[in-house]
Amino acid sequence: MKIFKSIEIILDNNLNKAEQFVQSRPKVNFLFGALFEACDGLIRSTKDTAKTPPYIRSNMDVKQYMGGVLVALFFGWVVPAIYFYGFLCVVPKLIVSFAIGVFVVDVIWVVLAREERINEGGFVTCLFIPALLPPQAPLWLIGVGAAISILFRNILGGVGHNLVNPALLGRLLLTICFPAIVVTGWQEPFTEIPTVQSFIHGVDAVTRATPLIVYKEIGETASYFSLLFGSNTGSLGETCRIAIIIMGVWLCFKRIANWRIPVAYLGSVFIFSAVLSLLVGNTVAPPIFQLLSGGLIFAAFFMATDPVTTTYSQIGKWIFGIGCGLITVVIRSFTPIPEGIMYAILLMNLIGIPIQSLILKIKYR
Amino acid sequence: MVYKKGFDLIKAYPTEFSEEVVSVRYSGQTENFSFSFPEKKVEHIIINLCPTEPWALPHWAILKGNTINFLHKLEKVRSEYFPDSPCRIVVDRCEDELINDLIRYGKKKEWLHTFSMKPVYPYDAPVLIIKNVLGLETTFGENPIDHGILLLEPQTITGIYEHYMLKRETGVRLIPISGTGLHENRILKIKPGTPVETVLKKYIRTDIKYRVFFDGLLNGTEVEDLSQTVNWSVKNIVVMEERDYKTPFPYMKTKELGSTTSLMGELRRCVYCNYCDDICPVNLEPALYWHCYSRGEKQKARHYALDKCIECGLCSYICPSKLELLQVIRECKSGS
Ligand code: SF4
Ligand code: SF4
Repeated sequence: MKIFKSIEIILDNNLNKAEQFVQSRPKVNFLFGALFEACDGLIRSTKDTAKTPPYIRSNMDVKQYMGGVLVALFFGWVVPAIYFYGFLCVVPKLIVSFAIGVFVVDVIWVVLAREERINEGGFVTCLFIPALLPPQAPLWLIGVGAAISILFRNILGGVGHNLVNPALLGRLLLTICFPAIVVTGWQEPFTEIPTVQSFIHGVDAVTRATPLIVYKEIGETASYFSLLFGSNTGSLGETCRIAIIIMGVWLCFKRIANWRIPVAYLGSVFIFSAVLSLLVGNTVAPPIFQLLSGGLIFAAFFMATDPVTTTYSQIGKWIFGIGCGLITVVIRSFTPIPEGIMYAILLMNLIGIPIQSLILKIKYR
Repeated sequence: MVYKKGFDLIKAYPTEFSEEVVSVRYSGQTENFSFSFPEKKVEHIIINLCPTEPWALPHWAILKGNTINFLHKLEKVRSEYFPDSPCRIVVDRCEDELINDLIRYGKKKEWLHTFSMKPVYPYDAPVLIIKNVLGLETTFGENPIDHGILLLEPQTITGIYEHYMLKRETGVRLIPISGTGLHENRILKIKPGTPVETVLKKYIRTDIKYRVFFDGLLNGTEVEDLSQTVNWSVKNIVVMEERDYKTPFPYMKTKELGSTTSLMGELRRCVYCNYCDDICPVNLEPALYWHCYSRGEKQKARHYALDKCIECGLCSYICPSKLELLQVIRECKSGS
């Protein structure tokens, strides 16, 4: 305890000195001020105090909020993905994504645009990018994706001003630019007792189409068990659905994600696909298969709930979720595209703005 | 933790007062007790024995273990000055003994009603207590007496009894002082008119920076000048540590930091997290006011039921982006 205290004091003194050094030299401050603030912010609290009532504040801040999302994403997809595809498949992607997204694009942006600070939302976006791409996606693709996403995120205004989910927008642009690469390389996951070899390298890369593509082509559904536990093909982050569900529920429980959105989204996918498959027959995949396939669960818990891009009002959140569900089912069933969540969420992000103002007009007439 | 509609401040900031009540000596000019009896007819009297803020005066300091004695005084005051008004006493739902005493006393007296509630902030704010106890709608900032409702502090009842009925000189008021800027939390007998420095002199910590507040931390006022005097309307004094320097590893010290005036985070833009409308006791959506304000359209904020806001301050308290919502609301209300 005592040692800890003295380390703390030394650290505090040195950071104070560093802060003084940075702030007293305009040029250093221009280049490294924001970076220093960001690092310092991870170690120490702010010195701001409440100037207007209330004079005490709750300890929840945006850092913890985003930290919660990062933890959920880490256990929701990074850990299972390491098991299924091997350490060497996952970790380099994350390093590339963070290095390019946060440490290159974000830092350059902060310096050029004279933003006050780098914020933690960039980490969340960069943690999404590899998850949305196939396991065999090349590293440069991840880098390009991260760069595009962070760039657009900053252009559109950063935390608090995002128009659409930046990670999905990046993924959309990748789909437009490299249509062939983003839909191949669905690697078969490893499903046995892990060995050191498998843990590091994964298994031989055998590729197979995702369950949704298979259904589109030959109308066969995969086993629900394999879908739930992740022993089926899909993007890197979306396969182990049980882990995603657990972490998603935890997020809702911590009130970081709003429970209304996953409930509305998943519920409406279930209902619409049930109704449509009764009406149209086999062009529409059966409801439980729809729920468990593709990126739906991942998107419903982690991407659609991204708070800034939904509506503020609670009723709007229901409408947002249901809209996403409807578009997803329609795209999956009646278009040649096998997976529709990306389009659904991006579209609803945009529609969210008129929905919000309409709700306000009705509510406060 | 409960965020939904109101907030249990007592649980979040437990505050214990030592039982002994101490008098503060002061020989300068002081003010005597006076009560301005309303000219309008009083139809209902509400007495709140269930404070929802941890730094408010606990009721045991007034009841002194003798509820019956207090009720006698109340009965005399009522029959002398407000003979036709029913009295409603609000108590904490968990205090069985007190509730039993009240019910036993009120058995043969149909003017006395007991009402129990959970001590969740800000349910004892005038607008909400009137709504919960009487079911009547009032607006924030109105004097409840315009609706024939008299909200009486328990201390005022003993004050009226002693000053007007026993004709005794009454010049002291019980004021609780608490907070991390003090050595100990105390209930003090203060002669209104005493300067704040004199009141706090014996208890304040001199080794740290501190700030002094009247009437609680959520929507109270800051005492900038400590030579200001304590008057009859001051309910409590809170002294909080001011940490205007950075603290390493704040995640391990949330409790310690939480009891200072620290913002506990950086100012950001609204992230649409919905914490503010979940906690708002009157179902408003405070972020809307901030959006109007940040676009420079203060007038527009009025469209969103702004006048219903009771200025409890919970929205600013909970906001993870540390937006000054209460300040924004007050500015939008004043409209300038
Ligand atoms: S909007 Fe008004 S009533 Fe609602 S939490 Fe904020 S200050 Fe309290
Ligand atoms: S609590 Fe703050 S950040 Fe969250 S919605 Fe309300 S104003 Fe926005």
